[in-house]
Amino acid sequence: MPATARRRKALVPWAFLAPFCVLFLLLFIAPIGYAVYQSMIRVERTGPMGLGGAREVFGGLENYSRALSDPAFVDSLGRVLLFAAVQVPLMIVLATVLALLLDSASARWPAMFRAMFFLPYGVPGVIATIIWGFLYVPGVSPILDALSWLGLEVDLLGPSTVLWSIANIVTWAFAGYNMLVIIAQLKAIPGELYEAAIVDGAGPLRLVWHVKLPLVRPAIVLTTVFTIIGTLQLFAEPLVLKPLSTAISFTYSPNLSAFNEAFNTNNQALAAAEAVLLALGAFVLSFGFLRLVGRGRR
Amino acid sequence: MTRGSNLRRLLVAMLGVVSFAAVACGGDQEPETQQREPGQKITLTFWSWVPGVDKAVDLWNSENPEVQVKLEKIPAGNQGGYAKMHSALKSGEAPDLAQVEYQVIPEFLLEDGLVDLAPLGVGDHEGDFVEWQWQQGAFGDGVYAVPQASGPMAMFYRADLFEKWGIAPPTTWAEYEQAARRIRQADPNAYISTFPPGNSAWFTSLAAQAGARWFDISGDTWQVDMDTPETIEVAEYWDRMRQDGLVKTDPDLQNGWYADLQAGRIVTWVGAQWGDAILMGNAPETAGKWRVAPIPQWSEGEQRSANWGGSSTALLKGASYPEEALKFALWLNTDPESIDLLIAGGYGWPAAKGAFSGSALDKPYEFFSGQKINEVFAEADQNIDKSWKWIPTTTAMYENLNQGFRAAVAGQGSFADSVRAAQTKTVADLKAKGLRVSEG
Repeated sequence: MPATARRRKALVPWAFLAPFCVLFLLLFIAPIGYAVYQSMIRVERTGPMGLGGAREVFGGLENYSRALSDPAFVDSLGRVLLFAAVQVPLMIVLATVLALLLDSASARWPAMFRAMFFLPYGVPGVIATIIWGFLYVPGVSPILDALSWLGLEVDLLGPSTVLWSIANIVTWAFAGYNMLVIIAQLKAIPGELYEAAIVDGAGPLRLVWHVKLPLVRPAIVLTTVFTIIGTLQLFAEPLVLKPLSTAISFTYSPNLSAFNEAFNTNNQALAAAEAVLLALGAFVLSFGFLRLVGRGRR
Repeated sequence: MTRGSNLRRLLVAMLGVVSFAAVACGGDQEPETQQREPGQKITLTFWSWVPGVDKAVDLWNSENPEVQVKLEKIPAGNQGGYAKMHSALKSGEAPDLAQVEYQVIPEFLLEDGLVDLAPLGVGDHEGDFVEWQWQQGAFGDGVYAVPQASGPMAMFYRADLFEKWGIAPPTTWAEYEQAARRIRQADPNAYISTFPPGNSAWFTSLAAQAGARWFDISGDTWQVDMDTPETIEVAEYWDRMRQDGLVKTDPDLQNGWYADLQAGRIVTWVGAQWGDAILMGNAPETAGKWRVAPIPQWSEGEQRSANWGGSSTALLKGASYPEEALKFALWLNTDPESIDLLIAGGYGWPAAKGAFSGSALDKPYEFFSGQKINEVFAEADQNIDKSWKWIPTTTAMYENLNQGFRAAVAGQGSFADSVRAAQTKTVADLKAKGLRVSEG
């Protein structure tokens, strides 16, 4: 009797965890496992069109070495790293500044501005990119027309500029969202802390530096990790801009390259290897960042 | 101890779920084909993006109440249509019929995605189609596609501007280069054309016109011969035009390009017959100002053209009623009424034999200053290298070339370098597919 009761008691937490565990396994662990499995497959064919039949054999790590020996794929990794190096600080500083401005005592119509800054997040990324694309194409864009009227010839889709044109779209779309996360945490700061600081003689800037920023640190860390992962997974923007820009190829970003190998050229195994490599990179960078800020705190 | 065994149980359960999911994802079951009973009503699914095909399907449906065709419009092949088909094939959910362009038929064969039509008796209809287009779907003893249309090439040009500037329409590529120079002098905003670095299908056709033959097969070994002197000559020609600032390097078939055509900033297009509908649809303000002349030649007096684009109707593996599906595919591409509906949409040059005279193609076009432009294309169609073959990695081959062209436009390397790099990479792609290759 007591033994069964104890056993039943031990199962209770699992029953509560089960829905999460099952979904986590099915939608997260299983696809990752399948991708890792796929990345180690090699297809062997006979006959000129493969009409003699095809079979899948274990290929070890050869898809990984093929991916990493493709200079175009390695370039794409370098490109998203460069993109992240610029985009992450830009995004976080902008989101934090917007949040602090809207949270400051002297802000006018904060609710309206908050909604305005957040609004672009409601536009699906593909549609946002199509619309921005119109603003980037010479001959169609009113902005470029106005600039050329002033004597400025700007190529927003050229090899050296298109990455920053993409950064513009990403910032436009996500800065408001990140701002909202930080504002939510700002609102949770108890008023007494401000009163105490003001009584101690802190001005608005000191209040920001010594009270607000330290207390919204968790929100900033969270948005930074999201932004790191998001920038590494750059996909929809270059895919949509690709037909408009001669500077974007199917190997522009690692995700685009994996997509192309999987669905256009039917090299699913190579695509899986590229996807796993990108996931590893995102994992290392996100956890590296978390360790870095964790150490700083101690 | 209880904790340990619970954990172990959990891990076992996790593994179970994982392996179940893996099996569920990897299912390669092929749906069975069926025979239609007399009087039984069936519905076939057809994926296509060709403008005008909806009207032809409506006509079929009104005439064949028992065999209905459900048309599902998909994005054009290289814009995601083929990706969709390949995923559908993998999951066993493919439609019965699909639009498949000539250059990707070998790719679909490699993935075992097409139904062999020879056992269904398609051979009886071989004589209804233009020989070389029929051959695009014939491999070994099998026939895997019903040819639909092709794209013989010629030169669209702004007759009014050429006249205004006193420039004769070029008949050779050397004249084309001179004309390009004079156009730059006549109007600082105008260019003779663009070299689209992201559209190597177009470049491939120009190389074919110059006499290159990139791919061949002997036994079961592929031969890849992209960096031939003919191809390098074409690459160097356009590289020189680009470096001398005689052509733009913007993408074609995009909003910016349409705006350039509309405004007279681009005044020629070496394009295919299906391009007439594109010009009419996207540069309506230039109506009456265009004409069509034969494609410029490499040597004076020659008459060589090339094909750009070309499409078939194929049965995807898993088609449930192959006999009916084939019947529809043959009707769609040979019935004169169907052909006229497809022509109206701008589907290209009919693959059905003798479809030109008396069809909707055989008329003067107001947009092209009253010219019977298809007489030029009919002539071009006679002068195509009909032995051209495609490899099972054509899509990747295009991208290999695009990569080099893009890099060259961005200041790294030359167009000729791009061709040489694409040769190496294409050989590697074929080998990675598990196929045999020999170079040059």
